[in-house]
Amino acid sequence: MKRKHESPLVFLGAVSVVAFVAMLSPLAGCKKDEPTRWDQASSAAKAPTPPPDAPAVPKTEGGALNKFFPADGTDGTKRVFTQEKTGFAEARLSREGKDVATLSISDAVNDDAVKAKFTGVADSFKGNPIVTVGKNQTAVLVKNKYQVKVSSQSLDADARKAWLDKFDLSGLSAL
Amino acid sequence: MSEILIQNVLQELPESSLTTRLLSALDYIVPGEWENITSFEAMIKSVTGEDDQAIVQQVGERAIALYADASNGYQRAVQIFRLIDDTGGLAGAVSLANKVGSSFELMSFLDRVTPKADTTQAIDAGVKLVGELAAFCYCNGLPGDSVGDFAESLLTYGKEDAIRLAAYLACDCLLPLGPDFLAKLTEQLSARTTDAFREHSRFSKIASYLPGGDIEEKRSLILRNVESAGSSLQQFVDGKGMTRESVLQRIQQGLEIADDKLDYVAAGLDITTSYFEHTGIQTVCRRLVSRAYGEI
Repeated sequence: MKRKHESPLVFLGAVSVVAFVAMLSPLAGCKKDEPTRWDQASSAAKAPTPPPDAPAVPKTEGGALNKFFPADGTDGTKRVFTQEKTGFAEARLSREGKDVATLSISDAVNDDAVKAKFTGVADSFKGNPIVTVGKNQTAVLVKNKYQVKVSSQSLDADARKAWLDKFDLSGLSAL
Repeated sequence: MSEILIQNVLQELPESSLTTRLLSALDYIVPGEWENITSFEAMIKSVTGEDDQAIVQQVGERAIALYADASNGYQRAVQIFRLIDDTGGLAGAVSLANKVGSSFELMSFLDRVTPKADTTQAIDAGVKLVGELAAFCYCNGLPGDSVGDFAESLLTYGKEDAIRLAAYLACDCLLPLGPDFLAKLTEQLSARTTDAFREHSRFSKIASYLPGGDIEEKRSLILRNVESAGSSLQQFVDGKGMTRESVLQRIQQGLEIADDKLDYVAAGLDITTSYFEHTGIQTVCRRLVSRAYGEI
């Protein structure tokens, strides 16, 4: 239910007006269950997870991945880690407050779809298969396990590749 | 059962409301940072810049799955952002009732049972900041007491985070407490007993989401958080040239409020808007999409 165009309230009477609005709000509208492009994913998200055919290999903790990122201050940028979850670490690169790129490492050990993306790829970068995703991402797969990505709406493919070069990919492959 | 589909959580946000008008009025503090994105697809395009529908689909599906798995912490972050606002506007109601009570001798009985406005507002402001800390930690995957990381990150806040911080400082700090809000916050929070915290509605709602075993530990986290984040908050206020007068003027213009009594306006905003919930959901959605984009 999406509430639209609420009128401004007079603050002095706000307590009673809000109580009144709260009483009415369930009647304000209703959402129709029209099909959307997300229905299949939504059903899967609501369904109980079936037991895997084989036990999943534990993913690397996000915190263990941080040290392989380009150092803070590289090329005059500020690096701030923005997420550190199991199997995922992400940092935002900015220069003078403006976004430059988002850097990430994800553990794709159990993700066949990700690994398939790199299968049979002709290009390689420091011995790792490299792909361009859409128009704003470049990714390498290290040790058939760690996906390292540079995503940016301002950098071109060459510039993104240059940032991939600033990761410690050999260190990551030894993890 | 709470909604486990992130696209519904986002798309239930209003396109236009008092909250969005408040945030638009405060846009001058962080120009252009915030855009009221209430469509899941629009959020994916904003984060990724991709038009390729296959990629948009892949990212969206991954984000939906990540949110639905409660162990990822994003659902908790949304719950916290909601709880920060969801007090039925109690602090606002209390101080408004207090004001009415003393000005017009109406509901004067409330004077006996309600705390004075500054006390309520100070605990409120402290609790909201610690709620932001807790949501930040759940969203980013950090331990819940990472006050140092949180304080440092405040100055790099962008997009929805930036406007939420601006609104917090405007509506919960500058307007009700004045330019020396930090000193007042620290003083008031230090002076309050654990009982005062226990009885504070907003605190008791989010207490179970905070690290620490007992009330005393949680109270101490609130204080530590205010002290640690204090210089970042002050730097933000000074750097953006935020003053009580300029903030009030913009809010009055944006929301067409004739009243210029600061405590009335602050109390009214607390009752009628939910800017933590609104921008918090947008923050969580942006983080989710960003992670999904990194993982696909």
